[in-house]
Amino acid sequence: MVVLQQARIDYTTTVLTVVLVTCLSAASLAETKKEYSYTVGPKANISVETQYGAISVKPGSGNQVLVTATFKSDNVEVDQQQNGNRIEIASHLLRGKDAQTGHIDYELLIPPDATINLRSCSGPLSVERLQGDLTLEGTDAVVDIRNVENGHVHVRTMRGPVTLTDVRNGHVEIDSISGEIHLKAVTGPLVQARSGSGKIFYDGDFGSDGNYKFTTHTGDIEALVPADVSAAFRAHSVLGRVRHDFPLQPRHSRFREEAGRSFMGTSGLATSEVLLRSFSGKIRLKQR
Amino acid sequence: MTCSEVERVLPELVDGGSDSAFPADFESHLKSCPACSDLVSDLKLIASEARNLAESEEPAPRVWVRIAAQLREEGLIRDADTRPVLVPASPQRRWTSTAWWLAPVAAAVLAAGAYVVSHKPVPQVATHVSAPAVTTPVPQNSAPKSPDNAAKPPVGASTAQPVRATHPPAPAPKSAKPPDVVASAAPPIAEPEASPEDQQFLSVVSTRAPSLRATYENQLQRVNANIREVQAYLDRYPGDLDARQQLMDAYQQKALLYQIALDRIQ
Repeated sequence: MVVLQQARIDYTTTVLTVVLVTCLSAASLAETKKEYSYTVGPKANISVETQYGAISVKPGSGNQVLVTATFKSDNVEVDQQQNGNRIEIASHLLRGKDAQTGHIDYELLIPPDATINLRSCSGPLSVERLQGDLTLEGTDAVVDIRNVENGHVHVRTMRGPVTLTDVRNGHVEIDSISGEIHLKAVTGPLVQARSGSGKIFYDGDFGSDGNYKFTTHTGDIEALVPADVSAAFRAHSVLGRVRHDFPLQPRHSRFREEAGRSFMGTSGLATSEVLLRSFSGKIRLKQR
Repeated sequence: MTCSEVERVLPELVDGGSDSAFPADFESHLKSCPACSDLVSDLKLIASEARNLAESEEPAPRVWVRIAAQLREEGLIRDADTRPVLVPASPQRRWTSTAWWLAPVAAAVLAAGAYVVSHKPVPQVATHVSAPAVTTPVPQNSAPKSPDNAAKPPVGASTAQPVRATHPPAPAPKSAKPPDVVASAAPPIAEPEASPEDQQFLSVVSTRAPSLRATYENQLQRVNANIREVQAYLDRYPGDLDARQQLMDAYQQKALLYQIALDRIQ
């Protein structure tokens, strides 16, 4: 009986200790928020740079830029500056340089036509429903861009995966050393994606009058297209396998086709040009 | 005019001076002295060719990189970050003193890639060079690609039987593995020593962000391996235009890595 009572006391003590430690930890990691607002003219230029933390950008109202910074510690502060139509925001690490103490999450509401430049090593970086030019850079950051049109999109990552969904009518250039690239319903006059070892996956119809170029070194490339796609295709993997699932019309080309390694041909009116190229990755063109 | 007097005015020839700028008896001496005449005509030719060379064949940036590396090895120039630091510098100042070279090096990497790609000779005659680094798989019903002009090719993977013009296809053994498997089973490429710029790159990363060194070293090894892999393939099949473009892409990836590091560690 005494043993049971002692065990109950030990259990209660342990639970109380855990609760106390959790509360103390939560207090030490308490989030604080700061808001910054700016008034800008048309086509403002907004830059946000942070070592550690997420950056999320959405359209706001009118000509206001509203920035909400969420701090995880007091070891970092925000340097912010407005010069005319240009706004610069950057995390400034005061002490320590780790993902915990230097972490700031940014949420921006901006005019839809603004040009934005975002940089975060850890990310994630997300942008949606904008119409200005976008430049996003992240070492390991997950990049997610949705519902963007009429602006140029430039993305660079080292390992971070990149996803673009519903991006229209702008130049799209994505470079990653080893990150995967997913493009869903992405069309425009120029769409280029390049990854060293990451895969490239495209799901869409290649629009019309566009130039699409997807290249990898070892990563696979897969394109999923509707039966009525209107494009001229050329695919070549120097050392990997290449195949397509639906018939293509022959096209004249200075490149010679090589069974299993390359194919070329057209579908529909061939209004867009599509190049899929890899060194040793597999390439597959599939019908949706 | 004597031969020694002619020799004294010769440097003006190198600088592009016209004959009228020389003493009046200069020409008469040349007519009477075959040795000086030959010397002057040779010098004129060399000066002219040198001027043309300077205009048309500017050395690639990698030449300067190598010269810089050589000068460093010989101790004639010093890296900024090897000097003792007497006053603790602010991050920005340290950045400028240790990693200022990253941007030009990234550009040089790209330029080197462009140089390598654009200056790779395309043989007109078949020369099957054995390339130990990469085993190029040859499927039974195909041959390595040739980018030369050809008649309208057949479409469809089952009927195409292209013939390689510059490199006769090696017969594939019946028991050959699938090409992609063969590619991955190729003997590993010997790991060369890191180039001076790579070593300096990693040195700066180690100094500025020690925790990131392993990551960048790993990524650097990958892009270097990619470059070597494509280069080895091109040594074997120099006419493959797509492989050339892949080489350019691989160099651009390396430049991208430098740029990302530059952005992150500043």
